Amino acid sequence: MIRRQFLRDSLGAATATALAGCGNKDQRVQLTFGSYADPGLDILKDEFLPEFEKTTGIGTEWVEADFSGWLQKALNDGETKAGAFDIYVMDDLWVPRFAGARYLANLDELGFQTDEDFLTPALDLGYWPPKTGLRQPGIDPKAKPILYSLPLVSDVQLLFYRRDIFGDSPPSTWDDISRVARQKSNPAKRQYGWVTRGVKGNPIMNSFFVLLHDFGGTEFGENWKVTFNSPQAVEALEFYLSLLPYEPEGIAEFDSDQEGETLLQGNAFAATIWTGWCRQTDDPIRSRVVNKIGFAVPPRKVNRVAKLGLFMAGIAAAAPHKTEALEFLKWFSRSDIQIRFARAGGIPFKMSAFKDQEARRSSRWLDAILGAMTLGIPSPRTSDWSKVEDILGTELNRALLDKGNARQHLDAAAAEATAFLKSAGYHAD
Amino acid sequence: MRTKCLAWTLIAPTALFVLAMTVLPLGYSLVTSFEEFRLGRPPVFTGLQNFHKLLQDTNFHSSLVTTLIFSVVATGVEFVLGLALALLLKEEFPFHGVIRSSLIIPMVIAPVVVGIIWRLLYNADVGLFSFVMQALTGESVSVLSSTVLALPALILVDIWEWTPFMFLILLAGIQSLPQEPFEAARVDGASSWNVFVHLTLPMLRPVILVAVLIRALDAFTVFDQVFVLTQGGPGTATEVATLMIYKTAFRFSQFGYGAAMAVALGVLVACFSTAVTRAFRGSV
Repeated sequence: MIRRQFLRDSLGAATATALAGCGNKDQRVQLTFGSYADPGLDILKDEFLPEFEKTTGIGTEWVEADFSGWLQKALNDGETKAGAFDIYVMDDLWVPRFAGARYLANLDELGFQTDEDFLTPALDLGYWPPKTGLRQPGIDPKAKPILYSLPLVSDVQLLFYRRDIFGDSPPSTWDDISRVARQKSNPAKRQYGWVTRGVKGNPIMNSFFVLLHDFGGTEFGENWKVTFNSPQAVEALEFYLSLLPYEPEGIAEFDSDQEGETLLQGNAFAATIWTGWCRQTDDPIRSRVVNKIGFAVPPRKVNRVAKLGLFMAGIAAAAPHKTEALEFLKWFSRSDIQIRFARAGGIPFKMSAFKDQEARRSSRWLDAILGAMTLGIPSPRTSDWSKVEDILGTELNRALLDKGNARQHLDAAAAEATAFLKSAGYHAD
Repeated sequence: MRTKCLAWTLIAPTALFVLAMTVLPLGYSLVTSFEEFRLGRPPVFTGLQNFHKLLQDTNFHSSLVTTLIFSVVATGVEFVLGLALALLLKEEFPFHGVIRSSLIIPMVIAPVVVGIIWRLLYNADVGLFSFVMQALTGESVSVLSSTVLALPALILVDIWEWTPFMFLILLAGIQSLPQEPFEAARVDGASSWNVFVHLTLPMLRPVILVAVLIRALDAFTVFDQVFVLTQGGPGTATEVATLMIYKTAFRFSQFGYGAAMAVALGVLVACFSTAVTRAFRGSV
């Protein structure tokens, strides 16, 4: 009798608890963001998503993985149309793949209106097919570009330079960088004139990209003909290799973390680094060169460019909450929100936010970022760029190990890339 | 009849689970390997085209050779070290429990973390390895930037992490051997070496086969350490097959070709396992 009573009471209590739980369950819509982990997103996650929730009553859930892990998840979700995520946070390089494969919802159709305050180079990254430049085979040359994603956080490679070495005015040419490196480097005391990324593939390609374009080279010419073995490109690579004696040992294994740390520890005079590192330079816990680092657009040779690498956001084609996702994109791209985002330390994508005095005072790198964004160019807009980048990045890494043979390595990469592009349906001649 | 029905009913959930989780994905990969499958486009059956391409892909051949070298050397060294440790620590002695437990620590650390730890150790500027080399030779060594040293460096990481696994299996095997033959050998005055060669090794052969096979199969699919430490570089010196498959499928979005690579690797691993098993059986 006692046992039966106990069981009955327990069952009753469990049922009551379960029902109470159901009753208390948050009934509001939950917007699911999928993203890679990156400190550049912290302000958005920690300060602005809670505010969005409070303002709109829409709940948010942030699911993140490492960069490669998230790419796999996102591709899987996009391909299977599973609808596990409402908003994909993407590297701008992913937009051609995701938009081209129709994993993203058409923002024009959903009713998103752009305005003049958007930075054009940032906004243009969200269109597919691209607004300018070459178009991938199979895409109608006359097809109208459609907006598939929006900038989320601006990111661009800046020249980080030591003001105590170069003075207050930044080095304006690559020759300035080379000259100071030659004159002031002292490897015995771990003082290096330059630091860069050397790991094969994307890391070294990111470092070489600016030099390639600054020296007048390009990746592709007409009809996707490979041109990264042109005389200008060879000159750019030879210059890149000429800085090796003024760089730390083992640069071929340096990725962005080692590159940034070398600068933050006061061991390097200059580097081209993503803007995500700006704030850390003035953090005494992380940096030994607080207030000694200056920021500028990368130097000039024939041209002056910066490499764009924005965080983008797109609504999944199979998103269960498209309306709410659109509401978030509209809210976050409002100029007043962008100004507050910049004041909080985020890197905005609207001109008014870059011009805001308070934001400029709290983030002394904003002017340089605006300058670089204006001159910025992205990676070639094709879903096959990753493969070409891997081919070229492997040969660049080999050139680093050889400490020479620039032409030979670029020719080898060009031959392999051309063969690949032809097999993938590109004209490439 | 009723008992048979009950048996099938009880086994059905597990069988279905195994079917859904292993057989179906494998089958799907096999089907995909015969297709041109790129993002956003419907897969197109292309017969053996992917495999024909594989035969001409020198980068993939090179990655298979790298994988083979990695697997054979790492498994071989791990076996020798694991066996030596097992023989050394098989007897009871003070603190044997603590020592045995501490030996397995590397095995329980996540491979990615292992990669990060060793990346710091190998760092040319501040790494321990470079520091020691500088003290000994006056010159720092950039291990992961060297096409000669990078692969041995990765093998060393694998040996550090997985020798305890060999040790554990072999120790369990040694401790479960019947004692009578050893006592008889001792009475007959056999030397330790003779006991090891003529008794321990032959009697341990089934355990060795299992340990070597498990480790070799695992080594063939090494990914994490390579991804964290070298990303296949410098050049293509450490580009193992799994890394290439991953890049082909997920970075370059060539799912069909990636699946064909995976099938080829699977066949290679199956051949290797069969060869090892036959070699062991043949020598019994």
